[in-house]
Amino acid sequence: MRPRAGMLLALVLLLAGCTSGAVPARPDGDSAATSAGTAVPAQAAPAGRPANPEVILATTTSTQDSGLLDVLVPMFERGSGYQVKPIAVGTGQALALGARGEADVVLVHAPEAEQEWMAADNGTARLLVMHNDFVLVGPPDDPAGVRGAASAEAGFARIAQARAPFISRGDDSGTHKQEQAIWQAAGLDPRGEGWYQETGQGMGATLNVADEKRAYTLTDRGTYLARQSGLQLEIVLEGAKALLNVYHVMPVNPAKFPGVNAAGGQAFADFMVAPATQEIIGQFGADRYGQPLFFPDAGKREDEVGS
Amino acid sequence: MLSRVLRGLRAPPTSLAPRAAPLANLDQAQRAVGHDQQQPGRHNVAGRPAAQDGAQHAAPLHHAALLDLRDVVVRRGDRTILDVPALAVWPREVLVVVGANGAGKSTLLQVMALLLAPDMGEVRFRGEVVDARRDPVAVRRRMAVVFQEPLLFDTSVFENVASGLRLRGVARAAVRARVETWLDRLGIAALAGRAARTLSAGEARRASLARALVLEPELLLLDEPFSALDYPTRQALLAELPPLLASARTTAVLVTHDPIEAQAFATRAMALQAGRVVAAGAVRDVLVAAGLAPPL
Amino acid sequence: MDVLLGAVVQAVRLLLSGDREVLRVTALSLQVSLTATALSLLVGVPLGTWLALARFPGRRLFLGLVNTGMGMPPVVAGLLITVLLWRSGPLGQLRLLYTPTAIVIAQFVIAAPEVTGLTVAAMQQLNPRLRLQILALGATRWQLLGLLVRETRLPLLAAVMAGFGAVISEVGASMMVGGNIPGQTRVLTTATVLETSKGNFDLALALGLLLLALIYVVNLTLTWVQQRERPL
Repeated sequence: MRPRAGMLLALVLLLAGCTSGAVPARPDGDSAATSAGTAVPAQAAPAGRPANPEVILATTTSTQDSGLLDVLVPMFERGSGYQVKPIAVGTGQALALGARGEADVVLVHAPEAEQEWMAADNGTARLLVMHNDFVLVGPPDDPAGVRGAASAEAGFARIAQARAPFISRGDDSGTHKQEQAIWQAAGLDPRGEGWYQETGQGMGATLNVADEKRAYTLTDRGTYLARQSGLQLEIVLEGAKALLNVYHVMPVNPAKFPGVNAAGGQAFADFMVAPATQEIIGQFGADRYGQPLFFPDAGKREDEVGS
Repeated sequence: MLSRVLRGLRAPPTSLAPRAAPLANLDQAQRAVGHDQQQPGRHNVAGRPAAQDGAQHAAPLHHAALLDLRDVVVRRGDRTILDVPALAVWPREVLVVVGANGAGKSTLLQVMALLLAPDMGEVRFRGEVVDARRDPVAVRRRMAVVFQEPLLFDTSVFENVASGLRLRGVARAAVRARVETWLDRLGIAALAGRAARTLSAGEARRASLARALVLEPELLLLDEPFSALDYPTRQALLAELPPLLASARTTAVLVTHDPIEAQAFATRAMALQAGRVVAAGAVRDVLVAAGLAPPL
Repeated sequence: MDVLLGAVVQAVRLLLSGDREVLRVTALSLQVSLTATALSLLVGVPLGTWLALARFPGRRLFLGLVNTGMGMPPVVAGLLITVLLWRSGPLGQLRLLYTPTAIVIAQFVIAAPEVTGLTVAAMQQLNPRLRLQILALGATRWQLLGLLVRETRLPLLAAVMAGFGAVISEVGASMMVGGNIPGQTRVLTTATVLETSKGNFDLALALGLLLLALIYVVNLTLTWVQQRERPL
């Protein structure tokens, strides 16, 4: 028994010894667990390895889920020599991480929260990157008659009036905040109403729930397009100003948090607004969905977006 | 007669029971060393010095003693469970400790085996002080203990008997040879490959004895080794064990409450009551004094 | 029903196709959890033995702590370790957050009380005289530990399986301290949660089945060792 147990222990320790410190290589190219890939253009020669190569990027789950980062991050790493750790959490948590100096750069899409964040001196800059839009989806027969509404607020008002089932993410995410802003603009408060339900989950799961219950929900176009084939839901309202989802990238302020990788954070921000990157962004998703998921906006003023 | 009983604590026996004949020469040798000493101290159960030479010596070290307890006291809470001012174990003797349940016999054995540190007093092995608290592995390896239960390990009989040798790092070939020898002597050679779990009480007892004897210890301590056995098994072992001990020239301390065991084995006896020695000397005398045997 | 069947098919296909991401994720899961389990054994078995046999003031309190640790929600452990490993935290200098090492630490904190508590229970089952007998045979402290472990090998192997099972299926702490970064700290459990939240239920189920298969294989091996050689 002794030698056998000893061998088993040795095997365990050997396997164990192969970890800790040894970081598996980054994924490149397509694989089943990542989503769409676009053609990657030729790269400039990679820069020398920077002094502090680790960059912690705090972003949102929907940004991660769209698959855009799976294309952009490897590009950035190859070109700059930095190694990015994308931490995909809820918008609130992403901003909180930045506000603690636990992240080097933040990429989110919640303008009001971002402005508060910048006002607290947490970032060195707030750069407009891109936008995608939300769409209101619902059952094909559109029981609340949302189709044809003049604005997002009007569409929501019709749903409230018809007491049609509406599913919300309810998780303080960018999508959720956008949805709440529209309710507020429409002068409505649906919380507590029987027809209004919250899932507390991500966009994909929320879409499934809405599909099951033949309800309305607010979703970003990218997730909807990705899941479209499996859903009965259809777009009932799109293009309205209030449905635009604007992304900003904000390097964290090293004066406030000395531990952050200021150079790395800035490098990533610069990368996101660089023309070559913006072009990639503009093409992302086109070959898979027939239309791009994102619209590059670097350099524009915020009120110019979407016009 | 009373004086003989009272004298026997520290001195080795001046008269030997006939059945312990092989040890007669030993007694002569020890007398020559001048063992008859009076013990200073509280309760001088050692009594008057021996009559032989009439001299009274102070009580220095007794180099010849294998094990030497001085002023040993063991307390549990506020109860004193063992109080032995002086006790010696001489080479090649078989000392039997008798007493009722709860008299402190097992405690005494554990102190001797360096498994229990007394609250007061000291223990010497071959003249050197040993402290049970300091993990005296080297000295423990010169002894062997057999407890009331066989306490075998969950492995084969062979591995059980070999365990003490393996702990000492004995070479494989030597282990095999010695284990096989002692399995044979205890009559359980056929059980070598059996799982220890499956043995009968008698077989397990033989295995635990083999495990101790294979170590060829300088001192063998036995705590009521036969109490759980049936009559025929006990009789068989009582007949087999003394010659084995004698031929190996092992010193032994045997704890028992059975007078037959005491008389089969021992060259000297001691009776414990409530943690104190109340009688010591020739086996028969002590048994009578302790009420375990009828007077002659 | 066909959802499950589809998942099984996809799981097999994923494995056979040698999908790199899946293989990477599986390998990392195994490495991290085996390391954490091994470490918790190295600490938990001697500690549990000592706790079972030694007597010292405050022993009961300490035992209570260990038993509480067994029931601690892994998410709480993850949160505590995250706060420790933050840049602003006491161990921030080590830069361990969002690395596989951080996951090993979190899983160790989860498994160690489990292994310790089960070892205490196993040792307390032994005859109290056995320890004396082993010492009387001339064992050093370490030899004593080794023999006691050999005597309790059956329940200890069960403790290993319990510890391993607890950590390989753990998701909350691994997510928090690891960050679920693709190619770096994504393990089977966090990948499953991710795919579920994205709505890719087929893939999520497939990963889940893969995880189950992994747990089964490891436990099968351990059970085989445990149930071997019971000579009659």
